[in-house]
Amino acid sequence: MIEADGITKRYGDFVAVDDVSFTAEAGEVVGFLGPNGAGKTTTMRILTGFLPATDGTARIAGHDIFSDPLAARRAVGYLPETPPLYPEMDVTGYLTYVAKIKDVPRGQRKAAVESATERCGLADVHRRVIGSLSKGYRQRVGIAQAIVHDPKVLILDEPTVGLDPIQIREIRHLIADLADPEKAAHTIVLSTHILAEVEAICRRVIMIHNGKKVLDQSMAELTEAGESLEDMFARIILREEEAA
Amino acid sequence: MRHVGAIAGRELRSLFVSPVAYAVLTLFSVLAGFFFLLSVQGFSEAINYYQQIGQFEALRGINLNNQLIGPFIQVMWIVFLFLIPGITMGLFAMEKTNGTEELLMTSPLTMWELVLGKYLAAAAFVTLLILMMGFFPSLLFLDGDTPVLGLLFGGFDLADPDPEGLQTLAGLLGLWLLGLTYAAVGTFASSVTRNQLVAFFLALALLLVLWLLSVVADLGVAEGAAGTATGLASVLTWLSTSDHFDKLARGLIDTRDLAYFGFMIGAFLILTKTAVESVRWR
Ligand SMILES: Nc1ncnc2c1ncn2[C@@H]1O[C@H](COP(=O)(O)OP(=O)(O)OP(=O)(O)O)[C@@H](O)[C@H]1O
Ligand SMILES: [Mg+2]
Repeated sequence: MIEADGITKRYGDFVAVDDVSFTAEAGEVVGFLGPNGAGKTTTMRILTGFLPATDGTARIAGHDIFSDPLAARRAVGYLPETPPLYPEMDVTGYLTYVAKIKDVPRGQRKAAVESATERCGLADVHRRVIGSLSKGYRQRVGIAQAIVHDPKVLILDEPTVGLDPIQIREIRHLIADLADPEKAAHTIVLSTHILAEVEAICRRVIMIHNGKKVLDQSMAELTEAGESLEDMFARIILREEEAA
Repeated sequence: MRHVGAIAGRELRSLFVSPVAYAVLTLFSVLAGFFFLLSVQGFSEAINYYQQIGQFEALRGINLNNQLIGPFIQVMWIVFLFLIPGITMGLFAMEKTNGTEELLMTSPLTMWELVLGKYLAAAAFVTLLILMMGFFPSLLFLDGDTPVLGLLFGGFDLADPDPEGLQTLAGLLGLWLLGLTYAAVGTFASSVTRNQLVAFFLALALLLVLWLLSVVADLGVAEGAAGTATGLASVLTWLSTSDHFDKLARGLIDTRDLAYFGFMIGAFLILTKTAVESVRWR
């Protein structure tokens, strides 16, 4: 569903992402881990077509992000680091607009908006102006806009930032539900700094450090090794720092 | 092209919940009214003057189109110069500050859909301004015996009291095209910065330069040896908005002037598309 092939991003001499390759199957939830500035956001921006890669490419649901960008983008739902919101619009108006530009057919728009509103716990505020919502609610609107067109692939940059514990649990349920192989079997890539979140919902962990992929393992293997994710994170990052 | 409407519609709705649209509409009505009254006053003073000095020949040559409506439309360019950049400054700059650029650029939109959607929103606003402005000259089309005209002219008997409808429409068409061109320039200015104020002043500067190109050309001709500078001077004069607009404002429709405005709109929209795309090559 996602096939990233040697993605590299350079800003002048600085290499933000260095030859990152991975694949993610349908029904898989992949957690992107890494310290601040590791290159997680940059990688996601390339996968969603927001930034061009200096080198390498990726295929989303079989569509190359550079040679077939429109089809690739149609298949992706993306929650950027800052939710892309228009403060002056109300929640329903905003989601309807997103549904339009994401090619949801006219007849299905209303249902799509209602379902995204429902799933992200926005039913009570759907007539409110986005600018008047609290940070957590704005984050929920951000998640709702990522799923409104029911994309095959979801790329979520720190989706649970700013949410209250109940909502974090709900969003994790939502993510697990979206990825459920028995149901929609979406492919989901999410970045986070909350290791417990990775343990709770991810089937695979990809760790990035200084732009390089330093770990790519299934959660099952990691738990088998018996080391806590936190210890492992520290161990790998410190090892890399020493090597550098 | 099916996304153009969605983008333009959202833009217009946002414009009309923001104070900017209403500030511009209010300012525009006040300024248009003011300049109209000035034009009326200038017109009646001219009649007064000719009557006093007994120039009845000149008096007969005066008509509402050439001495009132034309000058009124001509002077409105200065209002457009300041107001249209105010309308367009947010078009792209706001998307960048909102972070919604990431939504647009990762949606299945083509660059042309995005640029045209934005531009059409601004163009619709300009059209609204023209319709509002048409109110003033239309006063002159009311029957001569109505109080409005009596009020305006103190009951003068004009040799030719009726304005030309077509000539007036041609003038308004000219102003509309000028506004559409200014909107294209403003759209471009908004696409190269994330700061609305910078977009506003950049548009203002570009529009002033465009207007003054013909003045520059005239200076060049005066200074340089006659004949040598004419090639460049004629290009500059052609590129300048002023001559094309002045002709149309007076009601003279010439396809070459229409082509000029079409060319400028197209050129600035292509520039906008290039600028928006270049986000990708940072
Ligand atoms: N436009 C840019 N020009 C130069 N360097 C940039 C640019 N954008 C990002 N970078 C650099 O690229 C590196 C990776 O940034 P990125 O935002 O991908 O990190 P991240 O893993 O998402 O970090 P965080 O956990 O803090 O969100 C950083 O060192 C950042 O400073
Ligand atoms: Mg990040």
